[in-house]
Amino acid sequence: MIRVKGKSALTAAMLLAFYATSVVRQKANICFGDDRPLITLPQPSSSVLKAESARIQAVAKASRSTVGVFGTDGQGGGSGVIISEDGYVLTNYHVSDPFGNRMRIGLSNGQMHEAVIVGIDPTGDLALLKMEGRTDFPAATIIDSDTVRVGQWCFASGNPFVLATNLQPTTTWGIVSGVHRYQYPSGTILEYTDCIQTDAAINPGNSGGPLYNWEGNLIGINGRGSFEKRGRVNVGVGYAISINQAMLFLWHLKSGRIVDHATLGFTVSSDDKGRVIVSNILESSDAYRRGLRYGDEIISLNNRDVRSVNQLKNMLGIFPSWTRLAIRFKTAESTVDTYTRLGALHTAAELDEIITGKPLDGPPVPDRNPPKKDLPEEKSPADDPLPVEPKDDDSKSDKSAERVDPLKDLYEARKGFGNYYFNRKEVDRVTSVRDGVWQPVFKWPKNVKWVWSGSVAGESTSFEFSSGGKSLSLSLGDAKTMIDPVRGWASSIESKALVGPALALELWQKWNSIGPRAMGECTYIGRAPVIGIDEWQDLCQVTTGEVEAYFYTSPETLRVVLLEVQADSRQDRLEVYFDNYQSTAVQGLGGDARELVLPVIPTRLRSSYGPETPMVIDLQQLVVSEEKEPE
Amino acid sequence: MNHQIRLGKHGCQLRLALFTTFLVASLATVCLADLPSGESLSVEGTGASKASGVSELAISDETGDSINPLVRLMAQSQPKIVKIYGAGGMRGLESYQTGFLVSNEGHVATSWSTVLDSTKIRIVLADGHKANAELVGMDPQTEIAVLKMEEPAASFFTLDENALPSIGDRVFGFSNLFGIATGDEPVSVQRGVVMAIAPLSAKRGRMKTLYQGRILVLDVMTNNPGATGGAIIDLDGRLVGMLGKELRDDQTNIWLNYALPMDVVSGSIRRILEGKTATDLRSDKLVPAKRPHRFSSLGFNLLPDVLAKTPPFVDQVAPTSIAARSGLQVNDLILLVNDSRIDSRRSFEELLATIDRADNFSLLVQRGQDLVKIEIRP
Repeated sequence: MIRVKGKSALTAAMLLAFYATSVVRQKANICFGDDRPLITLPQPSSSVLKAESARIQAVAKASRSTVGVFGTDGQGGGSGVIISEDGYVLTNYHVSDPFGNRMRIGLSNGQMHEAVIVGIDPTGDLALLKMEGRTDFPAATIIDSDTVRVGQWCFASGNPFVLATNLQPTTTWGIVSGVHRYQYPSGTILEYTDCIQTDAAINPGNSGGPLYNWEGNLIGINGRGSFEKRGRVNVGVGYAISINQAMLFLWHLKSGRIVDHATLGFTVSSDDKGRVIVSNILESSDAYRRGLRYGDEIISLNNRDVRSVNQLKNMLGIFPSWTRLAIRFKTAESTVDTYTRLGALHTAAELDEIITGKPLDGPPVPDRNPPKKDLPEEKSPADDPLPVEPKDDDSKSDKSAERVDPLKDLYEARKGFGNYYFNRKEVDRVTSVRDGVWQPVFKWPKNVKWVWSGSVAGESTSFEFSSGGKSLSLSLGDAKTMIDPVRGWASSIESKALVGPALALELWQKWNSIGPRAMGECTYIGRAPVIGIDEWQDLCQVTTGEVEAYFYTSPETLRVVLLEVQADSRQDRLEVYFDNYQSTAVQGLGGDARELVLPVIPTRLRSSYGPETPMVIDLQQLVVSEEKEPE
Repeated sequence: MNHQIRLGKHGCQLRLALFTTFLVASLATVCLADLPSGESLSVEGTGASKASGVSELAISDETGDSINPLVRLMAQSQPKIVKIYGAGGMRGLESYQTGFLVSNEGHVATSWSTVLDSTKIRIVLADGHKANAELVGMDPQTEIAVLKMEEPAASFFTLDENALPSIGDRVFGFSNLFGIATGDEPVSVQRGVVMAIAPLSAKRGRMKTLYQGRILVLDVMTNNPGATGGAIIDLDGRLVGMLGKELRDDQTNIWLNYALPMDVVSGSIRRILEGKTATDLRSDKLVPAKRPHRFSSLGFNLLPDVLAKTPPFVDQVAPTSIAARSGLQVNDLILLVNDSRIDSRRSFEELLATIDRADNFSLLVQRGQDLVKIEIRP
């Protein structure tokens, strides 16, 4: 705002300032007769100094977790934040995208680290990167961003205009201007939902960097501003993706996939009374199968009241596809409480087009040059490389790292994936139970006959399932059903047959004995909610035989807690919950040292198609016997 | 610090005021060299001239107390702010702006703009509650308008003519800039500092504005699309100004962020409520002049009267005519005649018929996005 025309005005101002100083000083001398300062500024109160000191500490702490993101040639530049001590870094997709699979990350201590892409979320504008070589990276403290309130102090940290050649992040201080903001896609699929609005200056180069609260705790990932006619610089409005959203996507990103956002399968509009009404619904959607129809009112989603269309978009936008949420809606007759599966917002082909197609438009650009007109994502190859090579002794490991590329084996290209290497890594983690936790002392036999017996809860109907290589049989009371190990599964599920628990047990056995990779194509998806469990569970998709099997396993115990089997995406899945895991003596396994360690097996199954009225089976016994190899 | 306010009162122009700000900044730099520690400079935060009690307010937030005074201040102020939706939405004209409640009867103060040029003005309160509103009147001198909601208001600002902040004071701007807040979302809040208090030096071809009185110059990008009519409050929650329109210096391309001070705002609101300014369409009986003005003698004409309410757009201006000399241009939309609002060619003709052809009269016209005041001198 200061209008200074050229050097002369500046010089004049300085001269005037000094002139005024001397005049006032003289006056001050006359008035006070001593050599006091010319203008007595009030001494800041101790609370001001205390707050300032707290702020300095918060900025210092937070700055350690802020990183610069550059191309492998040191070009370009955006920001990012370290979120784990083992080196995971969050940034914007539109920051990482121009750099491809590999980039360099500059820490605030001046060190450069090589990094590899892990997973990307083109819709939500997030990318996860991984650095190697340390287990003590300075990770940011992450807090619940739903606790953020308008008026709280906050600050953005990052590398605006790529000013910091020494990698010391720039801090811009402000307040939270708005929460739960929805920002329409700006000419792209990029959609900011439930985001945090701040007046802390967000400029090109801040993209991907952290928004911290006044204590230096991570509340968001900066990525977008309202610019319009004033050019591509801060106009007092910046947006950060809430860290809660980023955390909901974290394990999806860790899967190395190109992750997708969700759709409810229906659209809504507001009526004249302000109610949110279904205006269109796909008959193939899960919500339709749960009874939702055109004209019904949406009351709540994920136990949050729905008061406006935008609010519903906000609630939805923070979730990855593969999520299932509680929903309450009102039909003409009644109020329905149920769960709905969210579908994928894009087809695989659409996502592929997005990432291979034309560059994104809109958000601030990591660009060392002054912003160019309407060319948001141009990389500027002619820039000076950043002089950020560490020169101190601590950097020896880094230099050797340059010679032997530590990330050489950490990238594997595959369609639909940002980096397939990390999917393997997560499948290994989820299935490590078979060779990590108890397999060394207890090995599930491969060529055995399994016989599970129990009863249907609350009934006298007995349950017996036997599985042995070529033939499976299920007895429910007097009715006995033979099941082919591969064929006929899809039609059984489509007809919602009672053989569901048997199919699930067969898949459970295979998961725990031969493992998912031997069952078929196995992909780690991420973490997803399971009804009745607070913590999100690891989810793997296994394509086996005629069906898709979805294994939900506990991140702590690695036990399968839920197995869903799908034959046709337009129909309800078979869902079987494995409850009451207990250490149980399994007949047929005893007789030697292995007896000392008892396998942990489920003792109760809840089986249903869709979320309603499960059949509950109490398992009383498992008998395992050696299967004779057929001649 | 007080010295500078006096400079503002003496009527130095904005440029000088800004220059003074710079000068004081230079002074501050010089002084600080005398202070024992650079860290004692509390320019950020509460402003050097504030009493320590206010400092406490801002500070206890940063220490993370469970009851955050700033958060509480925002929450208390939000119900007094309204979003206004009206005409516009095309040719780069926004159809929304901001206002604030000033009475328990539902009076809303806002900025006079084309948004209000609509038969249906919708108000959305901070909790998403919607209400219709009517234009009570507007003050062409300050471009402030008062609306009245159909229903009473639970929360409103007290108007205090003396609520003038000091330079360096921490203030907060509430507005629906860029229309970010939709539905039941509260408007956006920005924090800033009063940089200068000085008359707005608005000249043709530089900053097009009718108002040329004293303004609060802010150091934060408040005056964005949709922000006009928003509220500026201080750390005590007092209303200290109304956000002005978007104003860009055509020569430097610099956008000015400013607010009208409370003596101006409350003065205008009072005059509007007392009926001393442009009111809505005249309902009283108009006395025809014996020898009224005629289009032909003034040398201009409006669009032909083909609709029930044909907008009074200037269709022709004869060269060297009275109208041309006064600066009237083709495509000007006439909004006010002698501070009385007209809404059609017909109401313009009715009003014109009451003015003797020997008398001067004034027009307020909208030209593109600007309001232009024209004095017709026969």
